[in-house]
Amino acid sequence: MSQYWPFIIIGLFTGSIYGLAAMGVVLTYKTVGVFNFAYGAIAMFCAFTYWQLHDSWGLTAWVAMPILFLVVAPLLGIALEALYRPLTGLSAEVVIVVSVGVLAALEAIVPIIYGNEDRRLQAIFPTRTFVVGSHFHVGYDQLGTLVISLAVAALLWALLRHTRFGTSTRAAVDNPDLADMVGVHGDNVRRSAWILSTMFAALVGILISPSQGLDVNQLVLVVIYAFAPAVFGRLVSLPLAYIAAMVLGVVESLLSKYANSGTVANIEAAVPYLALFALLVIMGGRLKEAGASSRRLSLSTRGGGGSGGAGAVRTRHWVVRVLGWRLRLDRNLALGLGGFALALFIPLAVPGPRLIDITAAFVYGLIALTLVVLTGWAGQISLAQFSFVGVGAFTAGHLSGPHGQHFLLAVLVAMLVAAPLGILVGLPSLRLSGLYLALATLAFALVMDDIVFNRGDVSGGLTGITVPRPQIFGVSFSGRASLYELVVVVFGVVAVIAYVVRLGPIGRRLQIVRDSPLAASTLGVNLTVTKLVVFAVCGMVAALGGAFYGALQQAVTPFDFMWSTSLTLLLLVVLGGRSLISGAMIAGAVYGVQQLPIPASVNQYFPLAIALGVIALAQEPEGTVAQARREARRVMTVLRPLPRRSVGGVREIPMTSGPDVAIAAGSPPRGSGHGL
Amino acid sequence: MASETGWEEPVLRATDVTMRFGGLVALDDVSLEVPAGRIVGLIGPNGAGKTTMFNVLTGLLEPTRGRIDYLGENISRWPPHRRGRAGIARTFQRLALFSRLSVHDNLVASWESSHPGAVLGRSRAKRIERVAEVMGLLDLWPVADRMAGGLSTGKGRMVELGRALCTDPRVLLLDEPGSGLDANETAAFSAVLQAVVSGRGDRHPDVAPPAILMVEHDMALVMDVCSSLTVLDFGRVIARGTPSQVRADANVRAAYLGDASAV
Repeated sequence: MSQYWPFIIIGLFTGSIYGLAAMGVVLTYKTVGVFNFAYGAIAMFCAFTYWQLHDSWGLTAWVAMPILFLVVAPLLGIALEALYRPLTGLSAEVVIVVSVGVLAALEAIVPIIYGNEDRRLQAIFPTRTFVVGSHFHVGYDQLGTLVISLAVAALLWALLRHTRFGTSTRAAVDNPDLADMVGVHGDNVRRSAWILSTMFAALVGILISPSQGLDVNQLVLVVIYAFAPAVFGRLVSLPLAYIAAMVLGVVESLLSKYANSGTVANIEAAVPYLALFALLVIMGGRLKEAGASSRRLSLSTRGGGGSGGAGAVRTRHWVVRVLGWRLRLDRNLALGLGGFALALFIPLAVPGPRLIDITAAFVYGLIALTLVVLTGWAGQISLAQFSFVGVGAFTAGHLSGPHGQHFLLAVLVAMLVAAPLGILVGLPSLRLSGLYLALATLAFALVMDDIVFNRGDVSGGLTGITVPRPQIFGVSFSGRASLYELVVVVFGVVAVIAYVVRLGPIGRRLQIVRDSPLAASTLGVNLTVTKLVVFAVCGMVAALGGAFYGALQQAVTPFDFMWSTSLTLLLLVVLGGRSLISGAMIAGAVYGVQQLPIPASVNQYFPLAIALGVIALAQEPEGTVAQARREARRVMTVLRPLPRRSVGGVREIPMTSGPDVAIAAGSPPRGSGHGL
Repeated sequence: MASETGWEEPVLRATDVTMRFGGLVALDDVSLEVPAGRIVGLIGPNGAGKTTMFNVLTGLLEPTRGRIDYLGENISRWPPHRRGRAGIARTFQRLALFSRLSVHDNLVASWESSHPGAVLGRSRAKRIERVAEVMGLLDLWPVADRMAGGLSTGKGRMVELGRALCTDPRVLLLDEPGSGLDANETAAFSAVLQAVVSGRGDRHPDVAPPAILMVEHDMALVMDVCSSLTVLDFGRVIARGTPSQVRADANVRAAYLGDASAV
């Protein structure tokens, strides 16, 4: 037994920090209904701030701590509350997107403010050890962390359980309007919750950084460990979350004892993610989203007819609509094909190495398209799309490289490998949606990182593998221009297929599953088949994109497909417009611009700009496209000759019976913009 | 159990359905049947278990005990989509429209969902004909191109009814179709319902008029259109019969109608 004790002690120590993080996550979820994907980033931000105050400016802990906990953390909490307040009652998708946007924004801000060099945070407790019993050592820092964690956890629990703050919190969550009426100030409660939660994050940050290193990504990742215990407490129970975190810490630590023997290499790092995935699948239907019953079913109910974009308002004869699914040369398609034709000539204009960046933009656009179909159309949020890209890149890379197989065969096999994985990711979607589905896909991406992409025989380890340029039926695509043309044609074909499918019965089926899965199922839609097929097909096309990604880069490493790349993809797609094919193209273009040789001092602002753009546009399914359309319409309105203008939006209202006119007039005028 | 009409096998029959959620008994040995060509009302105070009954009938909930027969076949274990395709259609108390599709596409998607092969583009001619017919019957053409999410509740309920009719149902379950409707809309709705059941105004040759099971609080609407009523209270059937019998029932008056002046 004695050989286990050191691992149990280390486990309790890390577990107690996970416990704090888990409680912080649960706190905002149960009081504000926001699952804070950015929790790790907040902890990281606070740790960096503490480093600045304490290690860099040399303030003593007695000064730095109060500044951190009583000034910085509360201010950050208040800012977060203000950020999320307008999102109250909106669909889970919007809140997830904003929260991932905050994560990205904080990750982008830290290097800008604090620079990029390596640094270490001094432990707040002495790192000396003392001996317990006969022969195992316990660090004072470990003991101190454990004691603080237990004390703070107990305090929070007591606060929510036995004080007026606790009851008013529960009231404000259950029914904000009613709580307001009986004198509970919802805003104050929510603000307090955010402040408390941010203070917890700060504590997590400074407790964990000394042992984990002060690194932007590492800290974010460590806090994701806490998501599994939080879910175990169904995102509402603080004690359960805390205890589960302790157990997780100990299990992980014990496994690391065996990991060194080589039999279960790296499994222990993936344990929290495997646990998260398994918990979500097992608990499935029993998980309820906070305030879900009062949430709007989808974004569009907010904007009425307006948010649907121009297609909703343009009145077409019903015969035209009924014929809808046949390929028509409508304006969108004409524009698309025109753009496609122009794109084919780009190599003439840009012959140099920049052509590679443009090709990369199209490859990224192809990958982004799969997320448009999956999330924008079918309503299935995925934070694992780049794992499929990785599967495609490594499979096709190995086959066409060392194994010397034909490129087409390699691509085909890559897609066939991705299909069952797509179904695996789709499985949680049968019983979960919104937040829980996002968590399950995130867990999947992390598991893929740690168990699959980490294996040397899969990915070539840190150095990665080299991938040859494709050769198809004797035609070599090793030149920049020929590869570019190949990629553009593939993108064009996939985009046109997607466009035609969207207008047809399959497109409608995806959208009804998104808008009301319940109604769709009672009408005869087999949700199981529909969701699994969408996940599988989108996974396959992402793998296709991955094969080209590898062929273009000629070398791929596991870092190319890390979990965070999938989050970036989501952000870019939301920015472009998650329900539009052109949104995927914009995502690709933004990615391409970041590949250009721009000085790092400028380039470091791109992620921040993207994150802020996403936060602003999160409620708009058509992202930048809708924004651009609104601006264009505004300009056109200004330029329109005077006599033809009429009052307000009345001219747009179709002639109908009484009640409808009243409703139409009552809906927000188009072009007014209801984003942040 | 003999059906209300005395001789005909009912379209839909629930036998001794019990539904427990943990300690709560939402339905306690409830039996009811819906004969062909009739409008049957399911009434009761809030929380009586009406919507739960609908969820059990359409397969969204699996009952703790009991069986459901549809056209003489035990469908207790069928998933919701199989019931939908077989001809059990429903509307929702809280509107569940496909809010980002146009009204017309709501109906088209419904037809495609319920007809085998339609999602691959088969039988388009039939679809166009049927959807156009339902659009006309429910007077939805003026809003055909509007996003369903932006409609008034009244029109939204019509769209849900239209969507259900597009599946060519044999039995139609309406969950509080009258709530949120004003007096004019209720009258129009009641006229449409009677037209649907009698087959008037719906001249589709392949489709027999559906039987209807309706949950409704609007007593005027219920008394107007229903040929028989089942009354639930705390998950139990406390009365059944014709509207006039139910209205006279002492249990019902006590449990539900309360101040009878409302009727």
